[in-house]
Amino acid sequence: MKPCAVVGVGQTHHRSRRRDVSMGGLVREAVFRALDDAELTMADIDAIVLGKAPDLFEGVMKPELYLSDALGAVGKPMFRVHTAGSVGGTTGIVAASHVQSGKHRTVLAVAFEKQSEGNAQFALGSGKGASLGAGGSFAPFLRAYIHRSGAPEHIGWKVAVKDRQNALKNPYAHLKIDDISLESVRNSPMMWDPIRYLESCPSSDGACAVVIADEDGANAAAAAGRTPAWILGTSSRSEPLSFAGRDPVRPQACLQCAEDVYTQAGITDPRRQIDMAELYVPFSWLEPIWLEAHHLADEGEGWRLVDDDTTQLTGALPINASGGVLSTNPIGASGLLRFAEAANQVRGRAGEHQVDGAGVALAMAYGAQNQYFSMWVVANSLHPFG
Amino acid sequence: MTLTSDDIAVIGWAQTEMVRRTELTEAQMLVRVITDALEPLGLTRADVDFTCLGSCDYIAGQAFSFVYNLDAIGAWPPKRDSHVEMDGAWALYEAWLRLHEGDIEIAVVTGSGRSSTADPALIYPMEMDPYVLAPLGADPLTFAALQARAVIGAGIADERSMAEVAIRARGTGTVDVMLAEDYVREPLRRHDIPPITDGAVAMVLATGDRARRLVDRPAYITGFDHRTDCHNPALRPLDDSPSTRTAAREAGLGDAPVEFAELQAAFTHEELLLRHVLELGDEVAVNSSGGALRSNPIMATGLARVGYAADHIFGGGTRALAHSTSGPCLQQNLVCILGGRS
Amino acid sequence: MTTFAESTITFPYQRSLGPVLGAFMTALTERRILGIRNGDEVMVPPMEWDPATGAELPPDFIEVGPAGTVESWTWVPAPTVQHPLDRPFAFAFIRLDGASTSLLHAVDAGSPEAMAEGMRVAPRWKGERIGHITDIACFMPGDTPETDGPDAGPAAEPVEMMEYLASITYRNPVPTMVERAREASRERRLLGMRCPICDRVFVGADRPHCPIDAVEFGPETEVELGHTGTITNFVVVTPTPYPGQTQTEPFARVFVLIDGTDVIFPYQTVVELPVAELRVGIRVAAVWASPGEVGDDPRPAVGPSGLVGWMPTGEPDIDDPDLVNRVY
Repeated sequence: MKPCAVVGVGQTHHRSRRRDVSMGGLVREAVFRALDDAELTMADIDAIVLGKAPDLFEGVMKPELYLSDALGAVGKPMFRVHTAGSVGGTTGIVAASHVQSGKHRTVLAVAFEKQSEGNAQFALGSGKGASLGAGGSFAPFLRAYIHRSGAPEHIGWKVAVKDRQNALKNPYAHLKIDDISLESVRNSPMMWDPIRYLESCPSSDGACAVVIADEDGANAAAAAGRTPAWILGTSSRSEPLSFAGRDPVRPQACLQCAEDVYTQAGITDPRRQIDMAELYVPFSWLEPIWLEAHHLADEGEGWRLVDDDTTQLTGALPINASGGVLSTNPIGASGLLRFAEAANQVRGRAGEHQVDGAGVALAMAYGAQNQYFSMWVVANSLHPFG
Repeated sequence: MTLTSDDIAVIGWAQTEMVRRTELTEAQMLVRVITDALEPLGLTRADVDFTCLGSCDYIAGQAFSFVYNLDAIGAWPPKRDSHVEMDGAWALYEAWLRLHEGDIEIAVVTGSGRSSTADPALIYPMEMDPYVLAPLGADPLTFAALQARAVIGAGIADERSMAEVAIRARGTGTVDVMLAEDYVREPLRRHDIPPITDGAVAMVLATGDRARRLVDRPAYITGFDHRTDCHNPALRPLDDSPSTRTAAREAGLGDAPVEFAELQAAFTHEELLLRHVLELGDEVAVNSSGGALRSNPIMATGLARVGYAADHIFGGGTRALAHSTSGPCLQQNLVCILGGRS
Repeated sequence: MTTFAESTITFPYQRSLGPVLGAFMTALTERRILGIRNGDEVMVPPMEWDPATGAELPPDFIEVGPAGTVESWTWVPAPTVQHPLDRPFAFAFIRLDGASTSLLHAVDAGSPEAMAEGMRVAPRWKGERIGHITDIACFMPGDTPETDGPDAGPAAEPVEMMEYLASITYRNPVPTMVERAREASRERRLLGMRCPICDRVFVGADRPHCPIDAVEFGPETEVELGHTGTITNFVVVTPTPYPGQTQTEPFARVFVLIDGTDVIFPYQTVVELPVAELRVGIRVAAVWASPGEVGDDPRPAVGPSGLVGWMPTGEPDIDDPDLVNRVY
């Protein structure tokens, strides 16, 4: 398997409605930022991988066809992945696979959603009445976690506050809630018991792009003073929706996906060897749930890492320094944003929300009913553990 | 021993009965066809290291429709698994790339779709430019007809040779009778147009020695590439398919002759155009399966082409080409070349 | 004999046009057609980027047409509901005067005999224009543009958005299993499918096979389930409005563990159980539709059924810490 690295990252200013751009304009904003970051042009790109959530969100079927020209893909391979909410992550992984296979040298991964053109609840329910909406299907999982862990009720609120405060340091983030507090979260309307409004992700228009280069490209970037984010491991796992005894709170697919990506990256003690993580948390309680399912906390103990400030930006294991999905959620792009933000952290390019000294970062995206998992581990050296 | 690119092979495949309208769900089609592909190889779902599915939500009429299909692959214990919103031929590409990493040996890819459930004339405009083409209801027959005109105008086809393609594909008909029929979308007649088909295809890939242990004559993927042209058919020469030419060149068509080709040509003029672009002479057996004009299970049609090409190798053939396409007027094209070893 | 269920997915998408298409659509309301310069060429409709390279095109607009020449065409004898005209017409690639590229649009020629490559066509504008490609109702033979009815004038503000009404009707075959489950439900029976290999029972008539063992289900794997159970978990949804929405008040969906089994019925409706009183552990029993009534099973695959929902039996709650984990 050939080494590869992220050498450029770009994203749009995410907002609830990007009425100032066409669909092509939206993705190009992210693409040109990524290319500029990599000091490359469209001509340097060998292949494009596009990911987004169901086409019902925008009412454009197979949008990679219309977007080919906009992405500079004419004459090149163009690929479209779709793995539910994890799609952004899968986009990064498949783009990396293009390079790791040795078949392509410099690949552009792009993910976007222009969901203000449609209606998210409508699309999630495939146009039928009584849609459960975004949080409806996860609420029972969160209830189960709260019960079995014995976590106090403020944990969810704490995550919500942390992520929105981190977002204030991220110029691209959608939500900028200066006065967010435990109290304002607790007092916000209940959306899907036990999930309150301010514990829920927004609906955003946005795009993210990442340039992945082979070893030569990465070394060239390094020589020019632009630290590459070496992709030490990538992993995907899926598990079926329902069978008696399936545990969506501690899903096997997540546990195994994490074990796989850690093995590839040479990580034996994730809690200590990972400097920060971008985990896909669209509803607050998923942070402690994922900490446990990624072996970053013992079973039943994930909430303690929230409670004792371990996951704060200044803590020992910052989670979602970017503000996460709770602050920005163009559904198809959210997974790639996690992967991109993790890459920026180890490249030292996260600006105000930079985690000091981040050398190894984990990114994760999930989809459907906690069934699809995509993860990568990035680092600013090929062998961070010697 | 490190895995080399040309040591990844198709070792088997299966397809459902191709029907005008199935009573089965997409997941039901898939569960059967995956078993049908694995069983002859003595493999079970537990042996499969990686799966990649190709399907389309809009055709299924359901957001996240592929999540239901996940049940068909036996993802317990959890599987390395992915999905493309493209024909299974591109799922094959993803699996092929993944297998290069050398840590896994067996992959299954699928393509599935039930296009009988909605009117293609009303769905396909939605894949066109959302601002200036979709709102006109610009449908695939219209674009195909405009391309047919261009192909005829360039002397690559005429209505007679198009009818002959249809006769070869379906094994029936006479040219004069067919040319007496009315146009459906001038210059296209009923026989020039693909059927509506529901169906699914599953294919098994294996690497290196594992492939050779499982079958006598693996169909090695010696070259694989795909490219896209610009989207709006008005902006490109419709009497040509540059992306097909590039994909074929990059897949190594020029390295050695192929004796067998399966082209995803949904319309008769497309077969003639693709033959022309790929420079496939009369010595090449083209679409002996009947191709997409015989059965057109959208999202599986391209993967089926690879399947028939693989069959040619399994049966002793030397080199076969499979082609798949997506988008209006052959916008995006994929070429996969399979070879046998003595 | 297979029955079919028809469903239509309809939505009025609101698309933002961006600066280039915005200028184009605004000009259409002024009965002007704009192209954009791309090197020596003039692209119509104008694009934000050069299709060959993806390079950004400077906003150098130039008016083209209004008349032009047909480069190629095809006759549409049976227009669909999405087409711009409801009588037979030609779709044509039209090279407007001054343009380097062709525009696809309809030509209202009356008959295919009136169409020819190289013929001249001119737009017939709608009297009321909103900034949409169909502000040009169609093209007609000749060189002189026309307007349908009184001219309502250009848009008052620059056009930034357009609406696209997507509507697709699907006719899905109802799987035999689903028919049998519905029929059973009308007879007040609840069916599950037992996998002969792993012994798990699956419910939800849209589960055609065991996801663990890939064994297909059929009448021989059917088992009858009891009608009483316990609520293990639940969700209360505060509905938001959208086209097709049927709910206006917060509504509940519960998970019911059927007595004596390992089977969960997910996302069930409740009867006579106010949202505020929902708890883990409530004992419930199935409630059936009266003859002539249909149940409100929310799962699209099941559709109309005899099962209306689940109603508290009044027995004491079950106090079991593991219950809440049983979502599946």
